[in-house]
Amino acid sequence: MNNDIYAFRNPDSGSPSDSGLLAGIRMVLQPNMSVHRWPTTAGTRALEGYRALEDATVVKRLKASGALLVGTTRMSELGFGITGDTIQQAFAAGHCDAALVLDMLGEGRHSAAKAGLFGYKPSYGICSRLGLIGLIPSMESISVIASSAHLAVPIMDTVAGVDSQDFSMLWENLPDFGRASTSSIASTRIGVIKEQIDELDQEEKEAFQAALLTLNSTGLSTTELSFPDWPLFRIVHQVVGSTEASSSAGKYDSVRYGHRASGADTWNDMYIKSRAESFGRLIKAYLFQGAYFQFKNYPAFEEACRSRQVLVQQSKDLFDRVDILALPTCRARYDAAHAATIADVYNAFSLTVMANVIGAPSATLPHLVTIGDTELGLQLISRHLDDVRLLSVALQVSELQQRDY
Amino acid sequence: MPYEAVIGLEIHVQLNCATKMFCSCANRPGDKPNSNICPICIWLPGAIPQFSQDALEHAAAVCLALNCELQQESAFDQKVYYYPDLPKGFQLSQHHRPLSRHGWLDIMGEDGNSRRLRIRHIHMEEDVAKLVHETEGQTRISLVDFNRAGTPLVEIVTEPDMRSPHDAMAFLRTLRTQIRYVGAAECSMESGTMRCDANISLRPLGSQELTTKVEVKNMNSIKAVGSAIAYEIERQTMLLDEGKPVIMHTRLWDPEKNSTSPMRAKFSGPCVPDPTVPRIVLSEEWISRMRSRLPEMPAQKQSRFIQEYHLSDEEAGLMSADRDVADYFEALVRENVSSRIASQWILTRLLPALRERQQEISETMVTPQRTAALLAMIEREEINVKAAREIFADMFETEKSPAEIVKEKGIKQIGDADELDTILDTILADNADAVTSLRRGNKKVAGFLIGQAMKASAGKANPKILATLLSRKLGLEC
Repeated sequence: MNNDIYAFRNPDSGSPSDSGLLAGIRMVLQPNMSVHRWPTTAGTRALEGYRALEDATVVKRLKASGALLVGTTRMSELGFGITGDTIQQAFAAGHCDAALVLDMLGEGRHSAAKAGLFGYKPSYGICSRLGLIGLIPSMESISVIASSAHLAVPIMDTVAGVDSQDFSMLWENLPDFGRASTSSIASTRIGVIKEQIDELDQEEKEAFQAALLTLNSTGLSTTELSFPDWPLFRIVHQVVGSTEASSSAGKYDSVRYGHRASGADTWNDMYIKSRAESFGRLIKAYLFQGAYFQFKNYPAFEEACRSRQVLVQQSKDLFDRVDILALPTCRARYDAAHAATIADVYNAFSLTVMANVIGAPSATLPHLVTIGDTELGLQLISRHLDDVRLLSVALQVSELQQRDY
Repeated sequence: MPYEAVIGLEIHVQLNCATKMFCSCANRPGDKPNSNICPICIWLPGAIPQFSQDALEHAAAVCLALNCELQQESAFDQKVYYYPDLPKGFQLSQHHRPLSRHGWLDIMGEDGNSRRLRIRHIHMEEDVAKLVHETEGQTRISLVDFNRAGTPLVEIVTEPDMRSPHDAMAFLRTLRTQIRYVGAAECSMESGTMRCDANISLRPLGSQELTTKVEVKNMNSIKAVGSAIAYEIERQTMLLDEGKPVIMHTRLWDPEKNSTSPMRAKFSGPCVPDPTVPRIVLSEEWISRMRSRLPEMPAQKQSRFIQEYHLSDEEAGLMSADRDVADYFEALVRENVSSRIASQWILTRLLPALRERQQEISETMVTPQRTAALLAMIEREEINVKAAREIFADMFETEKSPAEIVKEKGIKQIGDADELDTILDTILADNADAVTSLRRGNKKVAGFLIGQAMKASAGKANPKILATLLSRKLGLEC
């Protein structure tokens, strides 16, 4: 039943709870989030047969607030990109109201934009990563896809917040999602990056300009800013991301779990054969790239880390001048769903990786940037930990939009 | 050509924390295989390391004990290599930013002069799992025991300041004393809680050039470190004398054969900053709090013992080298035992007796109070030293007080002059020749006569009084 959509369908998702912030909200997850006893294979043969021993913290919190867990959809291998991802179909089939996606390049926002839904990646370090099978620890965060911005707020309120078992989280000054509202965003300054707009095709530019006009009509003014290092975001993401991915995937050695190749004579042989059989082409290419930086060109990795610090600082300066950056979420000519090479992936995700590199919160709003029937999504990014303001703007814009409809 | 050896050490010390470094599993690697494991230390998908504050405190204590400067910021890196003993595919270790730098230890050089040997840095790291290789029928299999995976270690890296096996051994002994003092680790090479690799190179005497070094591993005692270095110096000397090059590689010490042989180099991978374990930031307050927790260290203690208790350099050194011994010594002194007698009794009686019974000084039922009671009886001449030794042995078997044991055994010293007089008269009558010899000035014979009298009293006589009586009877000078 619906095997094309689901990796696992929860047999007892049908008992609605009437209490809790998310009572009755139907949610789908991905199989890279631990749910006690559910198959948790993260879209890779390297985790063949693996079932989670306990709930991820975010899952525990969803359960406690009354959300109905429909199941896990099919996903890209190890959550890198959205090839083979079926969240869109779960929404289209009317099975769910919201979904959680681990966002490392912009996966959550891309899936949302393409499906004409609201997507939200919070600031880095405010949601527990315990029990999430990630790939790029310094860039990834759980993200929400929801039928509306309004629904995303209580979901974020539920899953965000200090987890005493995740030592890598922030411990103070965390955003209070309960405070996100449509009130008083008039003074919010919106910026657009000149170098980013220059990269767009004519059609994309026009679609984006139309969205800016809509924003202006709500009373939000936009400023054009220059960010000469803009092209560095995707390069830094690729170098640091692939290096971290190579380390993260080091655990898939077939010793303790997952697929083990037969017929190996030595353990080294067992490693090589098992990993060769476990990983698909795209992940292999990405891991090789990371291993290259680790083993053969460490200075390039160090350089990327330094550049990342510079980008973080330059972004901070940028956010002294504006509160929110606006840009499209997807490119029209690069389809993330069919990315087959690393270059394809980074071409498709070139507009979303900035938020992952600097750990900033980022939302995508539907129906604002469109070319014909193709949704590109209006992406809004704010400074780190300014999640409440970002969500407030998103709420107001969606409200005005609804009024317009 | 005369050569000079340049030696540096890398020492791994297992910290005696209750738990592992990144999870709350028990730090007991010796338990039943895979009984102390959890999703973190076997690295199940989704695990997040939880760095232990206790491990940090133990490691900081080691750093301070070795005069290192704790760094305000340090961080963990991933040492990447693929091996079944490494569940993550990397080992968490501090490669780029170690916990502390710039330490030193003073040792006594072979020439009797004190020398300061520098420590480059000390960093924390987790231990790896243990592999057991077996055969199942015809098939060779390898089993992994993850009990040791993630147990807390520090690695101490010295500067290449050592010049001889003596230096290396003295350094290791001093290091062990210092670390044991702060109670952060056991530091036993025999039981594997301290492991030492030595890097050795030779250069023409007087030159400052850097030459190819060879690493030697697998020494299971401090003595073996000395032997392995001596062997390696000899091997390299022969090579150089024959005009052959020294090749950089790793050698394994074989304690049976007393020699080293080359081993296949373990692949050394890159070190990448770990993105998940938070940076370690130490405040000035925290560091000074750790410092204030340090006990009085051996060198300070030694000089205090010389000042306060008038011990010799050597005695004070022996009394301060082990913290428990020092505590025992001071407890005896507090019980009014003279410091000299206390130190002598500990060295010649207590420590051998403990070794024989494989007991720890901190655990023995022969407490300082009981020992002091015994020594007081000697002082009051209620028993003689010979009897005291016998009673002391009994004190390891029974909880009775020395006085009770004396009473039971009836070995109270005979100090009564009349009684001793009678005994002595008999002895003198029976040994007329000896008496004549003594009168002629052969003083050695006095000892023989007193010995005979002791024997006649079944060891109970007070030898001092006997000696006085003997001199008086024969009209000799005391």
